[in-house]
Formats: sequence, C-alpha cells, structure tokens
Amino acid sequence: MHELVEFAVEKALELGASYAEARFEEKNGTSLTMKNGNPEGLEVISDRGIGVRVLVNGGMGFASTNVLTRESVAEAVKKAVKLAKAAAKVRNEPIRFSDEDFHKVYYEVRMRKDFREVSVEEKLELLKKVEEDVLDTGINVPMRYLGYSDYVWHKIFANSEGALVESVIPKVSIMYNLVVLENGQMEQAPFIQRAFSGGLELIEKDEPWKWAVKDVQALKKLIGEGQKPPEGKVDVVVSPEVAGIAVHESVGHPYEADRIFGREAAQAGESFVKPEMLGERIGSEVVTVIEDPTIPNSWGFYLYDDEGVKARPRYLIKDGIITEFLTNREYAAKLGRRSNAAARAINYNREPIVRMANTYLAPGDYSFEELIEDIKLGVYMVSFNEWNIDDRRYQQRYIGREAYLIENGEIKHPVRRPILEITTKALWSSVDAVGKEVEYFPGTCGKGEPGQGVPVWMGGAHARLRGIPLRRP
Amino acid sequence: MFDVNEFILKKAKELGFGDVVVLGYEMDRRQVRFANNEITVAKNWHERKVEIFVELEKRVAGTSITELSGENIERTLKALLSTLKNMSPKEDYYSIAEGPFKYRDIPETFDKAIVELDEPNEYVETAINAALEEGAKRVAGVLYTDHNRLYLTTSNSVEAFDEGTGIEISVRAFIGDLESGHGTNSVRILKKFDPESAGRKAGEIAKIAQKPEQGPEGKFDVIFDPLAFANLLSYMSFMTSAFAAEAGFSFLVGKLGQKVANENVTIKDVGNIPNAYGTRKFDDEGVPTRETTIIERGTFKTFLLNTSLAKKYRTETTANAGLTMPHAWNILLEPGDYSKDELFEDVRRGIYITNVWYTRFQNYVKGDFSTIPRDGIFLVERGELKPIRNIRVSDNFQRILENITALGKQLHHIHWWEVRTPVFTPYVLVKDVGITRATM
Repeated sequence: MHELVEFAVEKALELGASYAEARFEEKNGTSLTMKNGNPEGLEVISDRGIGVRVLVNGGMGFASTNVLTRESVAEAVKKAVKLAKAAAKVRNEPIRFSDEDFHKVYYEVRMRKDFREVSVEEKLELLKKVEEDVLDTGINVPMRYLGYSDYVWHKIFANSEGALVESVIPKVSIMYNLVVLENGQMEQAPFIQRAFSGGLELIEKDEPWKWAVKDVQALKKLIGEGQKPPEGKVDVVVSPEVAGIAVHESVGHPYEADRIFGREAAQAGESFVKPEMLGERIGSEVVTVIEDPTIPNSWGFYLYDDEGVKARPRYLIKDGIITEFLTNREYAAKLGRRSNAAARAINYNREPIVRMANTYLAPGDYSFEELIEDIKLGVYMVSFNEWNIDDRRYQQRYIGREAYLIENGEIKHPVRRPILEITTKALWSSVDAVGKEVEYFPGTCGKGEPGQGVPVWMGGAHARLRGIPLRRP
Repeated sequence: MFDVNEFILKKAKELGFGDVVVLGYEMDRRQVRFANNEITVAKNWHERKVEIFVELEKRVAGTSITELSGENIERTLKALLSTLKNMSPKEDYYSIAEGPFKYRDIPETFDKAIVELDEPNEYVETAINAALEEGAKRVAGVLYTDHNRLYLTTSNSVEAFDEGTGIEISVRAFIGDLESGHGTNSVRILKKFDPESAGRKAGEIAKIAQKPEQGPEGKFDVIFDPLAFANLLSYMSFMTSAFAAEAGFSFLVGKLGQKVANENVTIKDVGNIPNAYGTRKFDDEGVPTRETTIIERGTFKTFLLNTSLAKKYRTETTANAGLTMPHAWNILLEPGDYSKDELFEDVRRGIYITNVWYTRFQNYVKGDFSTIPRDGIFLVERGELKPIRNIRVSDNFQRILENITALGKQLHHIHWWEVRTPVFTPYVLVKDVGITRATM
C-alpha cells in the first residue's frame, strides 16, 4: 500500500499541487451488541481506502476513494487538485502551512492479549458478565443495552515534504446503557464507555462489569435515599469524571485554533478565546489543564498526528494562565508558530482537523479527605448525565447523576440532579484546590462536517469549587 | 452492481445462510465548506460498497465489503459463517420481508443536472453575497451535492434499484461575536435550489439580533423557528424506533395508544415524499417506503418497525428497516392554520428561538433534556422583537409536545449538521417552556 500512497503524492505534485498528502487507512475488527440479554448480532468491521489532500494556488482540496487501484487513486487526486484550484478563486488569502520537521517512522501498540485471536463467543462472554453481574445485584434493571467493539487501525501517511508515518493501533471498548426501575421510579446511566488503545487484557483489567454494578447500585440508592440538593451558593467537589467533561468542553474546545479563527463557525461554532488572549488569566492558580496524545494505552493515543507532526503534551492552561492553543499546520502558520500536532482524522475519507486527544485537569496536592474536610455545606458530584455548552464555549451546564450532600466535612445522603450551570471563567476561577490522583474517562468527541467522532479521554483529579450557585431541576 | 449482489446471494445460500440481504451503494458526494466569506476546503468522495446482512438459525451478522473481488467475497462470507456458528441465537429475530414488491417512481428525487453540475462554487458565492447584503460581516457554511445509486437484492425475492440526487446548503452569518443567524435549503432537483434564501435568512436574523442583552429565566411561551424545532423532532425521530424503545432510549416506552401530545399534533414519517432529502423507494429489506402516522392528534399510534420487530409485536412493518435498527426517513409535523404573523401576535410576552444545538438528555426514558438556543434569540412583546442571549431550554420532550398551542400554516424542510434525519415542520408555539441561564 506504501506504493499507492506515494503514487498519490507524486501524482498530485505532477498535476500542479504545491503541497500534497495521502493517507491510507484500514480498520478491521468486530462489534457485538446485546439488548436485554439477547445478542443483537455481530458486525464485522472491515473498511479501507485512501484520502488525498492538496494545496493548489492557496486553495485546499480533498478527495477519497475506497477503490484501491492506481486508476481510481489517480482520479481522486485529479478531483482534489481540480477542487483546490476552484476553491482558490474564492479565497481572500492563500492557505499556508507551518514549517515542520518530518520523519520516516513506524510505530505500533502491542497487545498482550490479541483480540484478533479471541473467539466471538469469548468476547460475548464479556457482555454476558456485565449482564449477569448487574442482574445478580437484585436491582430491577429492565433495559440493558451493552456493546463490545474492537478494531485494529492501520494508517500509512505520506506527504510531499518527506513525512512517512505508519502506525498500527488496536482499539477495544465496552459500552453500556442501564435503566434502573425501583419503587416506581426510574433513573438511567446512559452510554457509559470503558475504552483503551491496546489489547483485550486492558478491558479484563478494567473490569467494566464492576463499573456497571457500581452505577446501578448508586442509582438504586439515589431512588431510595435521594433528597433535594442544596440551592444557592455552596461548595462543590467534582470527581475526575466531571472535571474531565468540564476541561474537554470549556478548555479543550475553545482552545482549538480553527474554531478561534472561525473555520468551524457554521457547525461546532466559534470560541470566546481570541488569539490575543494567550498569557491571560482564565482560572485560579491551582488550575493546570494538559492535553496529551502520548499517554500509553489511552483512548486518544497517537505519537504522530494526521499531518505527520510528532505529538507532545500541550499545556492549555498553566497555573490559571492560557498558555497554548491546539493547532494544525494551517493555524500554526496563522499564529506564527509550529504545529503542536493536533490534526486528526477519523477515517481515510475525512480531512484532518484540529482535535483533542486526552485532556485532563493536572493533579494538585490535596487528598480527597482534605478537599471535603472544611466544607460546611456542599455537594460531591461523582458522575453526570445531561450536559451542554454554547457554541462559543462559555455558558455550560452539567447535571449530576451520582451525587452526595457534603455537610460539615462529611459525605452524607445522595442528592437528586444538582445542576451546575456556570460560565467558563467563573468555573475555573472558583477552583481553590485540586486532588492528587488523576483518572481518565473515554468519550467520542464530535466536530467537523461530515462529523468526525474521534476517540478521546477526559479526566483529571478531583477539584473543589468554592461558592458556586448550584441549582435544582 | 447487481451482478455482484447476485454472486454474493448465490454464495451465501450455498454456504447455508437463511435470510440474506445485499445492499450495494455507489456514492458520489461533493462538499464545499466556507468560513469568513471564503472557501476553506472543497471535497469529493467516491465510494462503492456492499452491505451484507446474513442470518443462520436466528444468529445474525452484518458487514460491508469494499473490495468486491470474488475471492474476497467468498472469504468474507466464510468468515461470517464460522463466526456465527459459535454465537448465541438472537431469540427475538423473525425474518425479513417476503418479496417481490412493486415500486413506483417518486417525483423529484433524481435530477441529471445535479450529476452533470461541474462547479457548484457559484451557489456558495450567491449565499455569501445574500447574507452580506443583509448586513452580515462573516459568513460560514457548507454546500453538498449528492448522487447515490442503491442496489438491493434479498433472499426473499427482492431486486430493487433506486437512484437519487440532492443539493443543499447551510449558511451561518455573523455580525459581531454574539450576533448571528442561520438559514438552510435542501432539495433533490437543481431548479428548486435556492441558496440565496438561506443566505438572506441568515443575514436577516444576524442583523436584527444585534446588541443582545442577557436573557431572563423562568417559564415562557416560546415560538420555535422551523430550524429550531426540527432539531427536537430529529432527536424524537430516533426515539420512535422500536429498537430505541427496547434499548432504553425513548420517552415513548410503554405509551402506545396513550396521549403524548396536544390534540393539534400529528407527526408522521414519510419515506416517499417528493423532493425530500431522506426519501427512498424502499427500505433495507425492499419494502416500498410509505407514510406512517406516529402520533395522530396527540395519540401515540406506532413505533417505527422492520419486518422482524413487527412480527415480534404481531403487527405489520412500517417500511423503516434498518435491519437491526429501524429508523425514520423524513419526519413531518402536520401544519396548523396560523400565519407567521398571527403566531407572533398571539404572544404577549414570550421568546422567539431561531435555532438550537447541543440537545442532551438527563434521562431518555423520561425525556428530560436541555438544548441551547444559538443565533438570534428574541424577547417577543406585542409583536416587537428584542434581542437576548445566553439562555437554555430545559424541559421535557413530552411536556413540549403537550404544550404546543399553535402551528404555522407552512411547512419548512430542514436538514443540516444538527438535524440528521430530515424534518418538515412549521413555526411552532409552545406555552410554558422552561428557560434557564448561568448566574455566574
């Protein structure tokens, strides 16, 4: 396949492109679902093709094909070049890419337990284990939707500036949706996922059935013992899961340079962050947010991005100050910087755009006990359901699923649906202490058109927010 | 591609599979994305693939093949067979539809002019210029052209072909950071395409949305623009699938035959409506698409079904296969008898929401959700519009449907990034909608 990828790049240059890249991608795997104890069926994942992106006269064109012949690839290249030429006529200024160092490199994530060598029946057993352990709790869970998925993601990327990056990354995940019905009341833990880049041993070690049991037990307790949360200004301790969604939505997204410059304006939106805000304070000095694709076995793992640039940890906020945006080559050039390797594409038929990978609130030096010991009245939000944020990433809301009252430094009874509805600056300015331990939670981040749901981890340490106007439904 | 379909079917039957569905696609899609009044990227996709569904003694599996050599097809089918033999059966699987069926051509679904269209950039420029003329400073959006061919062959005597085209544009216009508007236009034949109207609407809303003040919270009568209400109906369309109900993703669970909406509300899925983006001649098992009334004058009549789920519930398919997951084609909310002006005159003090995004659920089975108005939002006081910002709709799906008090006369066809299932909806007035906002 290397030959076809390099052929595409050469062909594009021949046709007049000033820059060309080609990306072969192949995904092979298995997906299984189980609904209320019934195996719903098996899906064999098998997809491959080539995408070509070019710059001609400062216009950008992209074309892809899944017919992997020289003729078909040449046709795709021709289309990309033609589209770029036409697009160049409707531009105010030509697109330029930042200068980067490129490498010829191969890397792969090894599996200790290779899921390609495991039978479908054994994979189905993992879902049956979730099903059985949930039912064994004796809790009434009338709707149970479970999913297992694995695939090996193989990519070969080459560009006209000497990059040749080949990677093989296995992905494995389990997902569940559980509805608890007790005493005529219903609570739901929708779309919970456990997910890794690596082999089946990671799922086995993670034991998603224990997460599922913990969830239904918490929901049962909420139904039986849940009370109204306090209202008005209180202290809130958010778990790594809640801190994770908050850093993803209100730090990661608004720091995406394509959004800052308006390229996503019609879809995922713009940003309250402006280029001149680098160096400005956005949170208290205990807030540091890191974006790191290189965390081993993480769901958002990569070592080179889809423009061939080497990845590294990126400090979006350091000690409360905005320090870095997420960029690809196009927006790095606009900012007069080097790319920090945030260009990702979900498949061969998608263009690489600025994306997150693994975003987390960096740890502080508080134990959990220290975080809650001097709270007179507050709420500990362990997990969330409904959440959203405006398209400038400023006004957001997270509703607690599992949450507890904190009174005089102690965790008390569960509380129902505490609502944190707050602005980004107020949220990060109110953090006065951060816990020691970091945890990560997987998610699928949506952006781009057509949509590109990329695998990401979100997480961090526990965080304490002081004087937050908490609401009730 | 029927020769490939026939080959797959023959080999699958030789291997001993029971029900077999082979769905071949040839797709040509073109996209022009634009932002800041210029084209950011232009794209072209050419894809050829075959989706296969097989059943073996109630064990079911699916895959798609893009490498269509005889060798790869046989290898794939054999792999499916050996895998399925080791799987537990899906006890609630019944069968696919028994063909053959007769299909009628649906008007305004194919236009050679779109296939032959060399260069769509002039439409992008038309939309941008219309928005700029209305006062916009920055215009962003996307244009698509589509040409799809669909080849369906099943083990139950179905052989069906459909060819469709489409062209659509979605335009968002900005004046400052907080002032924006949005317009869309989606059609299946070129002469009905009106990119100017999309650009003009986006620009008009942005213009009247200038200098917004912080919005209020509480309960308000809300007029939803078709663009905004289509978002809610598009989410609801998923919840009308019997699959979604079984899996715990629908507020309609257990409500067949019950009142779930105001009496003036009738919602249909129409798979064969002319000039609609989701229209197809047949579903994934070959049943001719049709009109299905989901909610009739407020009463929930049926979930959307394929043949297997229909047999499970001892009823008839609604021609919405998806073999695993039935789904809607085009959701249609029947119009009422209010003109747009009459609708606004009816509101003494309320809110006009032109667009929403990021609809998320606290609980699917209860239907509790929130969604964020974006683009122009207005306080409506005796017909006057006053721009506001930073509010959130926080309510319950069923309560929204029950509180619909008036519907506009005219239907609008909406399909864009946030409205994946195409929707036909009028302007909608809903009383006592929950509105919240951040206070810090």
